[in-house]
Amino acid sequence: MKLLLEFFTAAFLATFIRSTVPLLLTALGGLFSERSGVVNIALEGLIIFGALTGAIVTQQLDPYLGAAAPWVGWLAGVLVAGGIAWIHALLSIKYRADQVISGTAINLLASGVPAVLLTALYGTSSDSPPVKHALPLWGVGDLKFSPPVYLAFIAVAVTWYVMYRTPYGLRLRATGEHPGAAASMGVNVRRVRYSAVVLSGVLGGTAGVFLSIGNLDSYVRNISAGMGFIALAALIFGQWKPLGVLGATLLFGLLQALSIRLDGDNLIPSSLLQVLPYLVTIVALIFTGSGAAPKAAGKPYDG
Amino acid sequence: MTSTLTNTDARPSAVAARLSLAFAAFGILALFLFPFGTYTRNFNAAATVQRFPAGVLDFTGFPPASLPAVTGSLAFGWVTLVALLLVVFAAVRRQKWLWVAGLVALIAAVVSVVLWNSALAGATQALLDKGIRPRRIPFTSGGINMGLFFALLAGLVGTFAGLSQFRSWWDRLNRLRGLLVPVVAISLAILVGAVVVLVVQAVPSDPSVKLNLFTTFVGKSDVVWFVFSSLFAPITNLSGAVDSLKLATPLIFAGLSVAFAFRAGLFNIGASGQLTMGAILATLVGVYAPLPGPLLAIAAVLAAAVGGALWGAIPGLLKARFGSSEVINTIMLNYIASGIFVFLLGSNTYTFFGRTVTIPFKAEGSNPSSNLLQPAAQLPSIPQMLGLNTVGPGHLTLGPIFAVIAGVALYYGLRRNRWRALVAVVGALLIGLLTWRIGVPLDVTAAISNSRLNSSLLLALLAAVLFSVLMWRTATGYALRAVGLSPKAAEYGGISVARNTILAMTLAGAFAGLASTHYVMGGALDEYRLKQNIPVNVGFDGITVALVGQSTPVGVVLSSILFGTFDSGSVAVSSKLSGVNKDLVTVLKALIVLFIAAGGFLSKRITDPPPLALVKAVDAGVNVDKQVVAVQGNSVTALPNVGAQLDTPGSDRTTHSRTPNDGTQGNDRGGKA
Repeated sequence: MKLLLEFFTAAFLATFIRSTVPLLLTALGGLFSERSGVVNIALEGLIIFGALTGAIVTQQLDPYLGAAAPWVGWLAGVLVAGGIAWIHALLSIKYRADQVISGTAINLLASGVPAVLLTALYGTSSDSPPVKHALPLWGVGDLKFSPPVYLAFIAVAVTWYVMYRTPYGLRLRATGEHPGAAASMGVNVRRVRYSAVVLSGVLGGTAGVFLSIGNLDSYVRNISAGMGFIALAALIFGQWKPLGVLGATLLFGLLQALSIRLDGDNLIPSSLLQVLPYLVTIVALIFTGSGAAPKAAGKPYDG
Repeated sequence: MTSTLTNTDARPSAVAARLSLAFAAFGILALFLFPFGTYTRNFNAAATVQRFPAGVLDFTGFPPASLPAVTGSLAFGWVTLVALLLVVFAAVRRQKWLWVAGLVALIAAVVSVVLWNSALAGATQALLDKGIRPRRIPFTSGGINMGLFFALLAGLVGTFAGLSQFRSWWDRLNRLRGLLVPVVAISLAILVGAVVVLVVQAVPSDPSVKLNLFTTFVGKSDVVWFVFSSLFAPITNLSGAVDSLKLATPLIFAGLSVAFAFRAGLFNIGASGQLTMGAILATLVGVYAPLPGPLLAIAAVLAAAVGGALWGAIPGLLKARFGSSEVINTIMLNYIASGIFVFLLGSNTYTFFGRTVTIPFKAEGSNPSSNLLQPAAQLPSIPQMLGLNTVGPGHLTLGPIFAVIAGVALYYGLRRNRWRALVAVVGALLIGLLTWRIGVPLDVTAAISNSRLNSSLLLALLAAVLFSVLMWRTATGYALRAVGLSPKAAEYGGISVARNTILAMTLAGAFAGLASTHYVMGGALDEYRLKQNIPVNVGFDGITVALVGQSTPVGVVLSSILFGTFDSGSVAVSSKLSGVNKDLVTVLKALIVLFIAAGGFLSKRITDPPPLALVKAVDAGVNVDKQVVAVQGNSVTALPNVGAQLDTPGSDRTTHSRTPNDGTQGNDRGGKA
């Protein structure tokens, strides 16, 4: 009991929440995309584009806008990630590309563009210079978080409401399960899918903005560290449902926080500790399988 | 089926005419808009360029003492221009002689290129005769530029578009349709890359040179030319070629790995992790196994394959047993492999729950690297094998070329013999040994003799052959492809999907694992040991390579060489230009995948020609686009056989790497199809 109390300090709770938030935002984004029938491997790349744009725009606007710069940076990050997601949508909806390949292409793009852009702007290929004003921190004591954190938890409720209590949500779910049937009921399948994929870019971009200027104060290489893929796994583990996704991302966040917390304790070598979330992901996928997947996910719609 | 689209009247088809018209018009514009040729280039890539009708633009600030005689080249530029104008005329009127005009333009452009280069060589020789030190001579880095290049390209397109009116040429060109999507994708990626370069890179020029709008445009187009000609430059010199082959070797393995899984309907994103595990196992065997001589090398190679195979088998097993997606599992296994790798190379003593454990993998010292491999496990470098290991005059043996020719000739000559494969291999070996002493004299530079191009390239080529034989000559391969094309139909036909999924992922992993032989046993990391700088990104490049190579072994090898060339050229680009980073190549690769994935932007009518009925309907004046829309809307069409052609099932469209290739593959192997 004493050990537990020593463990669950406010600082640990803060780490826990900070590790959960990007996963949660990204996974909710993936939820929209996949429930509409578009597999979104590109989440990792969307995070990177959001993080990069957020940091660069904020850094560039700092002298003119001051404390307002990160908000504009956030908006820019969301727009760019949304635009990149739109490319994924275009490829997989209009040009009927293999959705996994198209998503992988966007991830590859995200592994090359930051270096090229940072070299052109700042002359170094890995990191951006720190911003003067990051997103503000709201809260009390050790538990101070930037706005995307609060947004993430609100987004769960909003997503649940949209998904199950609005006509758009009904159309979305129908589109992912049986696009032909949805179309016959007058749903514009393509439009629903476009909107859902762009929405996943908006949420993934927000996760990236949180990482670069909500949690740190610059873009650093490998900032996403596979979170997009873990979010994807959390989405599967959460059975493509908003509350399931919340639970799964909390679990993965907890694991990440644990691996950070245990790093100095010499229990397990840190390089193996960092592997833990990935290992748990694989185990989680074993137990989930793909039974609950939207039936039309991954298939281009011909109508 | 494909050969039916021959026009009844022997004019070039409307599409061919339009195509050559567009290219010729652009070629004419390019002659005037872009620099014609380049005289010289500084270390910061600033150039002195020739404009087409006349005039020289100098960005270097140090004009060459005397300009070489390039009037001959310019004169042939005029000839090219006139010929291209004729192409335009012929294309508009759809004249039969379009191909003649195209051919004249092509020949004139080639002559112009040759004259340009010989003028530069002459000027270089003149300076050498004066006793100037070779590396100071500017003309050696000159060459043609965009203007001449696009004119040449327009001539080429005009020639082939015109020739396509002849049935035999039409068939010949038709066989190359499989190349259409990758070639268009690469071209589009280059176009986007060019825009990126235009935006991020200022015109490299001496501060003394004043730029205005016009010179900025010329300078910018020269930069674009410099970037892309440098990316392709390793083709033109031997040490560059050696370097690009070296970089291509692991790409071949990774590409085969991804392609193998593709063929079985699986997506292997885990080549990086499989490579890492292969490297660890190969290192363990290569360092510690107490085996004599060649046995050790063989055991280490097998260990590399086994390491990758085990790592690939896991997602295969999980997919077959629990239905969890191999895509996410392979990605997760990449991170886990990298964790194990860092763990093993990080230190030799660890604390597990307070207990200290020693795992002696890392070598003594502060560098994170393994112990050196035993000499017997080190693969010889190819320059060494060819006897090119001393700097100075040497000779390059032509034996391997003769051997390949003999092997191919025997294989196709003995079409009826059951043992022709064996006879061909033995014959090739014999001829190779007999002609080993025949060769061309060659000046061996240090870059060649010290190159780490090693015999794992031969292993890679062997793996490609193995891929091909296994996939298209055995029952196992048939089962794998059947599962890839339609799992349900395969299951119905008595093929176990689960078994083949595991098998495909295991073998894909083995291919990826073998890539580590290049790094560890071939010494590509500058030493014969496992080091932290092992480039695991190669696993992701494997996806690009497999897509560009359309999942065929020959395609994978060729596209690997292309990307190896890109990679080695990119180093020169990023060292010379301030704004361009060598990751530009990564962006180009990503764009290529993007455009290949969107292969649908090329209409099905181009990638898969429509049947004769449709062509006749076009000639009769039916609006085809409306008909196509009607077909896609599932309504009845008046044209017979069109619906079947255009209404391909979704699974075929999404895995565009399959349908067209099985045909080309058959052709490649001597008209089995």
